[in-house]
Amino acid sequence: MSGTWITTRAWLLMLPLLIVMVAVIGWPLADTVQLSFTDARLVGTSGSYVGFDNYVRLVSGNAFGRTLFTTTFFALVVVTTEMVFGVLAALLLNQQFRGRTLLRALMILPWALPTVVNATLWRLIYNPEYGALNAALTQLGLISGYRSWLGEPGTALAALIVADCWKNFPLVALIALAALQAVPRDVVAASFVDGAGAFARFRFVTLPYLAGPLMVALVLRTIEAFKVFDIIWVMTRGGPANSTRTMSILVYQEAFSFQRAGSGASLALIVTLIITVLAVAYGTMVKKVAGSAA
Amino acid sequence: MSALVVDNIRKSFGDVETLKGIDISLESGEFLVLLGASGCGKSTLLNIIAGLAEPSGGDVRLDGRSLIGVHPKDRDIAMVFQSYALYPNLSVRRNIGFGLEMRKVPVAEREKAVAEAARLLQIEPLLDRRPSQLSGGQRQRVAIGRALVRHPKLFLFDEPLSNLDAKLRMEMRTELKRLHQMMKTTVVHVTHDQIEAMTLATRIAVMRNGQIEQFGTPEEIYNRPATLYVATFVGAPPMNLLDVVATGHGLLIAGSDTVIPAPASLLAGLPAGGLKLGIRPESFRAEAGGLPLTLRCDVTELTGPELILSGSIGGQRLVATLPPRIRAAVGSDVTLSLDVEALHVFDGETGKRIETV
Repeated sequence: MSGTWITTRAWLLMLPLLIVMVAVIGWPLADTVQLSFTDARLVGTSGSYVGFDNYVRLVSGNAFGRTLFTTTFFALVVVTTEMVFGVLAALLLNQQFRGRTLLRALMILPWALPTVVNATLWRLIYNPEYGALNAALTQLGLISGYRSWLGEPGTALAALIVADCWKNFPLVALIALAALQAVPRDVVAASFVDGAGAFARFRFVTLPYLAGPLMVALVLRTIEAFKVFDIIWVMTRGGPANSTRTMSILVYQEAFSFQRAGSGASLALIVTLIITVLAVAYGTMVKKVAGSAA
Repeated sequence: MSALVVDNIRKSFGDVETLKGIDISLESGEFLVLLGASGCGKSTLLNIIAGLAEPSGGDVRLDGRSLIGVHPKDRDIAMVFQSYALYPNLSVRRNIGFGLEMRKVPVAEREKAVAEAARLLQIEPLLDRRPSQLSGGQRQRVAIGRALVRHPKLFLFDEPLSNLDAKLRMEMRTELKRLHQMMKTTVVHVTHDQIEAMTLATRIAVMRNGQIEQFGTPEEIYNRPATLYVATFVGAPPMNLLDVVATGHGLLIAGSDTVIPAPASLLAGLPAGGLKLGIRPESFRAEAGGLPLTLRCDVTELTGPELILSGSIGGQRLVATLPPRIRAAVGSDVTLSLDVEALHVFDGETGKRIETV
């Protein structure tokens, strides 16, 4: 049967990719699962089988709960803010005005820069001795003296959230802008004739075309925000007093700072599980929403 | 009293003038078709009447009230678009009632109006569906329904039939005509389809390069085309155009020694220079009587109801549509006949019609 031949050929064509996938994802994953049931150290002992001890110890310890909360809080605030500002920026950049092309290009810049550059830049802005934020707020009379924004547990996470939003809202804006350009002009014109105001027009004309692409942005950004590492590592290393420690930072500390490869692996798998659940849940939602403006 | 007046409307995009002073005056209840090839400015004019574009100069008045600067929603107009332009995530029911909903018409009244429009357009079973679940023809009915419920002073149709297949287009054309006869609301309809224009309009404005080439009833446009452009744009197959010279006893077809023996009354009014003679393919007759014209038959095509004969006289091509039973041998000479009224004479230079009778 020709169907069988086509199936065979399809598998043959995919084979090289499958081998690479197994080599770079499958094998390390299997290795990590195996490692997570041992008390292996990063250097030296390969460890012995300890069953679910790592998982039990981690989940019952207070670092895990607190970190999970910090991560969820970070992801929630960051993603919400980015979605709102991204859509607003896209709506603005979709208007006709002089310099629009330049502004569109400029807007992508924060997202296009390497995270480390971004993070370094924000460290300079937040610098307790000569930072721009301190200077601006002092000169405006909003604060009396310079503060260490990244050095105080009360402000460090907020400062990180601002930096991350600045870096990532352009991605949402870009996706939203592309979607806005697909809104048919006739439908917009029809809504004018029908007497729809700005809000009704957004609700009934723009949003249906925006919803699908925005769901994709939401999925991408939630997953990325949940596994955030580099921007935090460069700016605060999870401190002060673990106030900015997210799951990925905790995994890193466990596996590399404390050299506990076994429990680091268990933690990494827990994070993977949470993200998988998120991805599957979102995936179902994307499918539903995508049909809305067909 | 004139219902719609378009008064010297101009529109420029940068240096390009797309509308060069349009004047139209319509009685209430008329069906105006703006007819022209793409890029002639007909859609721009419609958008200006709708308020979706601002003119660079001139005025539009509806029942005596100037519409310039008035928001589209306050113009008492309704519009139907080529792409249907339905709201994708609203049901058919809400799509039709959307204009009323936005105007805060009470729910009961709105429901009644939607039901009435749905009944007229025979789309009652579709009311709870989404636009994506409808065929093209059904979508266009919904779009028309959305315009109907508002009972506006003026309907604007922007090529509403262009996206439909041929059979459906004919059905919807009849439907539009039926609705217009029933509602008697003034309509401005944009199209590039001359059949649509001829069948629907009470008046046609043939547009070209941002100007009105001719404004008149379908009969006037067809029987007395004002320019060569109108003459060839309206009619299918298009009007034959022959280079001719007026002589003492008739019209000499250039490149041949064939003379159409036109009466002296016609010839008297003609200038000496080069002329274009227009003859509609369908005005040829196979039987004798009238002015004879002999041409060489090159190709015959039987369409069913008629025979399309392509021939030539002195190297100039000519098409005639004849009854299907006519026998014409390819390569032989065929003599057809014409009435004097079938001769349209145009100035070869300006392309303008020369009134002969």
